[in-house]
Amino acid sequence: MMDLYLQDWRAWTPHRDAPSEPRLDSSVKPSGAGVPAMLRRRLNLIGRAICDMLVTLDPESNSLLLHASRHGDGDRTLEMLYTLNEGDPLSPARFGLSVHNAIIGVHSIASGNRRSQQAIAASGGEWAALLMESRGYLADGEREIIVVFGDQPVPARFADYVPSTQSAAVALRLSAHPTPGVRRIVEHPGAGAPEPVQPLDVIDWLLQDEALLACPIARRQWQLEGESSLQASNACKTGARRAESGHN
Amino acid sequence: MATTALEQELKEMIIDALELEDVTPEDIDPDEPLFVEGLGLDSIDALELGLALQKRYGITLESDAESSRQHFANLRSLAALVEARRAQ
Repeated sequence: MMDLYLQDWRAWTPHRDAPSEPRLDSSVKPSGAGVPAMLRRRLNLIGRAICDMLVTLDPESNSLLLHASRHGDGDRTLEMLYTLNEGDPLSPARFGLSVHNAIIGVHSIASGNRRSQQAIAASGGEWAALLMESRGYLADGEREIIVVFGDQPVPARFADYVPSTQSAAVALRLSAHPTPGVRRIVEHPGAGAPEPVQPLDVIDWLLQDEALLACPIARRQWQLEGESSLQASNACKTGARRAESGHN
Repeated sequence: MATTALEQELKEMIIDALELEDVTPEDIDPDEPLFVEGLGLDSIDALELGLALQKRYGITLESDAESSRQHFANLRSLAALVEARRAQ
C-alpha cells in the first residue's frame, strides 16, 4: 500500500495545552485573521480556526482540500428545524452555512482556491475515510493534499445519542513521497480502541512519538514513524523524551 | 441630510440581521451603496435583508431584479421602500 508522509500540520483546541508546540492553537477564540471580516462574520469558532490553519498550510491556495466532520454544524441545522416547525421562513445565511462543505467553501471564496474540495461525514469513520480519499488523489498524481478533521459538541438535544465530543480541529498536509525529517504514517490492520476517532485523538497522536491511532469501524490503526520534533525546530516535549530514551 | 429615525432603525436592523462584526450605525453612510462597494454586502445578505424586511415590516419584495436593485441601492432607497410599503 502507498505510504503517506506527514509534511506539516496545524491544530486548534482549547482542551489541550502545549505551550512549546507552535502548531497547536489552544486559544478559546481563534482569530480568523486569514479571512476578511465580511466573510469571517459567518464562521463559527471552529470555522475560524480551520480557515486560519488552511491559510498557513496552503499559502499559495492551490491544494486540494478534504474536510471531514462527523456532525457538522448541528446548532445551525437544529435552529433551522425549530424555525420550520414554527412555520417561519428560513434564514438564507443560516442555511448556506449549515451545509457540510460550508467552512471550506468560505475558505475557497476568501483564498481564491478553486481546486477540488470534498466534504466527508462517515459516522465515526472520518479519519479512515480521509486517509483513504487522500491515497486516491495522491495515486492519481497529486503531489500533496490537505485533510481537515473538525468537530464540536452536538446540541444538548442530541447529546444523549452520540459519544461526547470536544471542540477540536486538525489540518494535515500529506504527500506520497518522503522529504527529509517528515514522519511516515504507517497503517496496520486491527480495531484497537472501541471508540471512534475524534479530532482531539488525532491531535494527541500528533503530539506524541510513535503513538497508535485506531479506527474501530475501519478496523485499521495508524502509527507515526519518526519524531514529532524533527518537523519543527522549536517543537515541544519530544526533545526531552528523546534525550531520556536515547532514541535518535 | 440628517439621518431619520427610520434610517437609524434600518441601520440597526442591517447590523443585527447580517451579523456585521465591528460595524456601527455611524459607519453606514445613507448615500453609499450597500452592496459590493460601500458597505460590501453580498447576495446572501440580499436574501437575508429581504427576510428581515418581511419579518419586521411585512414587506414582500417582488421577484423583479431591477426593482430590488433600486430598493437595495443604499439606505435612503431602502427607507423610502419601507415608508411606502410597510404594513399599516
